[in-house]
This record gives sequence, structure tokens and C-alpha cells, in this order.
Amino acid sequence: MKKFSIITILIIVFFIIYFLQENIFNAFTIAGIKPNLFIIYILFIGLFANQFVGISFGVISGLILDLLYGKTIGVSAIMLCAIAYLGSYFDKNFSKENKMTIIFMVIGATAVFEFGSYFINSIILNFEREYWNFIKILFVEIIYNILLSIIIYPMFQKLGYIVDRNFKKNNILTRYF
Amino acid sequence: MNRNRQTEILGGIITVVILVLLIFLSNVEVNKLSYIESVASSIINPIQRIFADIRNKIEGNSIYFSNMDSITKENEELRARNSELETELRELEKIKADNATLQSYMNLTQKYSSYNTIPAYVINKDVSNFSSTLVLNVGSKDGVKENMTVIADKGLVGHVISVTENTSKVQVIIDAACTVSCTISTTNESIICKGTLENNQVLRASYIPTGAELIQGDTVYTSGIGGIYPKGIIIGTIKEIVTTSNITDRYAIVEPVVDFSKVDTVLLIVDN
Repeated sequence: MKKFSIITILIIVFFIIYFLQENIFNAFTIAGIKPNLFIIYILFIGLFANQFVGISFGVISGLILDLLYGKTIGVSAIMLCAIAYLGSYFDKNFSKENKMTIIFMVIGATAVFEFGSYFINSIILNFEREYWNFIKILFVEIIYNILLSIIIYPMFQKLGYIVDRNFKKNNILTRYF
Repeated sequence: MNRNRQTEILGGIITVVILVLLIFLSNVEVNKLSYIESVASSIINPIQRIFADIRNKIEGNSIYFSNMDSITKENEELRARNSELETELRELEKIKADNATLQSYMNLTQKYSSYNTIPAYVINKDVSNFSSTLVLNVGSKDGVKENMTVIADKGLVGHVISVTENTSKVQVIIDAACTVSCTISTTNESIICKGTLENNQVLRASYIPTGAELIQGDTVYTSGIGGIYPKGIIIGTIKEIVTTSNITDRYAIVEPVVDFSKVDTVLLIVDN
């Protein structure tokens, strides 16, 4: 029952993020470049919830995004799934307390997601890859994502630990003792 | 005794001098002494203002208590009137907005009267930085099909890539994966326009024939080759011609006539 309510809350958070991204961050850009809150969202779910929940959230929200905006179906789903996997990998190896590690996780996740989806899209849709311009845009997007994650993380942390407690009961012993 | 008399005389003289000075001063015009006045007022007035404020408040309070009932009544009336006016204003604003959209639709249809068109609103824009798609509020229910051409009041926007019952997804020509076959107005040379990541407000025209002469400011139209876009829709103007060491890979920057960050009403061409 508790797990069910947590998943409902996470779904509501998805819609909040969707409307934020669509209505606010489409207008508040840095040099015309938007952040990508979905990457941060899936990364945090991967970090706090278990791998199964993270990956299923990644795949489902990726599919929704692809159906809403994408030129190809499934690319965002695959990449968000990879982000969720990356999140659970980070969770096993790094601390979630430190802000620096969170910043590095966001850098890694954003770079992996954008590069992966751009590369796969370029193969499917057969267009010329412009690496230098891609890196320039990616750099600004990463900076914007870091700024946002610094703001969001303290808010998400409390919810995160509730999720953590409910989805990973047996992990605590092995980790701290 | 002697000393007392001296001080009496001195006091008398000082008094007389002061009185004479006072007579003089009272005859001097007031504005000539304004600097003294300003000094005095700058010292006193701030304090005076505080007192005056307090006094006014107290006085106001007495009026407030005595007029409370009538003021409350008046306030209620004004509030009612205000909300009435506000609703009227809102209605007027709505009518204004409707009028503007209808007018823009009419301008659009007049401009492209040779085509049968479906008007539409843009309801969503892509969240990614590396692609550019729009979502429109019309779908298969309104007769939209895949590969329909989408235009705005000034020129070409893109084409429909997928349709649901109520919405349709449009790939914009500035998307990096989008390619349009075009002709240049003055020389009729055919070129290919592509979206670029470098700047999402311009297109890059490549495959320029080696013999072709490009002129800055030339208009670029769709050529009709490829079967998606009908012939003769304006795309933009040539902004810059970049010559490289090899003439075969020179390219031009085309500035679209449509501002894609602000596009909100579009038309879909039904019969190509």
C-alpha cells in the first residue's frame, strides 16, 4: 500500500515536471538552450528507488516523451532506461549525501542521455552529425541541469529517503555495518 | 555703582541695536532670507511631519469610527461594481483575442487561397535542444494526414510526421534531421536547405551548383521536388554566402521568414 502511494506520488511528480518543462523552461532558456528535467527525475528515481522501479519509470516516461514530441519512437525510452540503470549503479558506489557527487552524477547522466539519443537518432533518421555544435549545446545544457539539480535536490531528498526506506530494506545493513 | 551704571548703558545700547536690526529685518523681503528658513525648516520639518502624521491619524481615526457604517456600505457597492467591470473587461479581452486569431486566419487563407487549408494552433513545443517539433491541436478527426505541408502567415513551417485523433506532430524545417529542396528566385538554381544545430534560427543551403551565382537577399522557394512540399512556398532569404577553398562545398545561410520561436497559428495544406 505504501509502495503504491509512493509510485502515485512519483507519477504526479512526473506530470509536474512535464508542465514545468513545457511551460516555464521552454521560455526561460540560457542562450536559447533548455534544461532537461526528465534526466534529473529519472536519475533520482534510479538513485533512491530500486533498479526495477527506476528502469520501468525510465522506459514508460521515455515512451510518453517519444510519443509526444519524438521523431522516432523508443530512443528516449532506451536512453532514460540507461539513465535509471546508471542511477542505481551510482547508488551502489557513491554517497548521496554529498552535493559534489550529485553534480557529477548529473553531468554524467546528461551527457550520456543527450549523446546517446543524438547518435541513435542520427543513425535512424540519417542526418549529418555536427559534433562541435552538439558539444557546445550540451555544455550549456549540463550547466543549466546542474543549477536546477542544486535547487531541486534538497526538495527531492526527503521524498527520496522515504522511497529509499520502502524499496531497499535489506540494503541498509550491508552498507553501514 | 560705577560699574552698574556702565552695564546699564551697555544693556540699553544693545537693546536699541537689536531693536533697530529687527526693524530692518522686518522690512527685508522674506525670500532674501530663504537660506536661513531652509536651514530651520530642514531641522524642524521632519520632526513636525511625524507629529502631524500622528495627529492626522488620530483625527482620521475619529472620523473612521464615526463614518464606519457608511464607508463599509460604499465599499461593498464599489466592490460589486469593480467585479462587474472586471468580468466585462475579461469578456472584452477574450473578444479581442478571438478577433486577432480570426483575422490572422483570414489573412493566411487569403494569402494561400489557391490551397484548401485547415487552420490550427500550436499547443506544444519540443523539449529537446537537438530537435524541433511542434504539436498542433488538429488530428485525423479534422482530416489531417501524414506528410501534409504546414505553413504560417509568412512562409513554410514544416510537414506532419504523425497524426493522432486530436493532435498532430510537425517536423519543423529548422530541425537538424529535416531537408527541403528549394529554388532561388532570381536564377532558378536548385539547392538543398537543411536545419543546423549551430543556430536554430537559420538554415544551411548546400549542394549549390558550381556555376550558380548567388546573391545576398535572394528569396528561396520550395521547388516541389520530393513530393511533400508543394512548389512555390517562401522559405526565406539568403543571408550570407560562405565560400570555402573548394567551390563544390560552399554553402549559404538562409534566414527563414517565419520566426519559429513565436509561431502559434498555422495552416495545413490539404491537397498538394
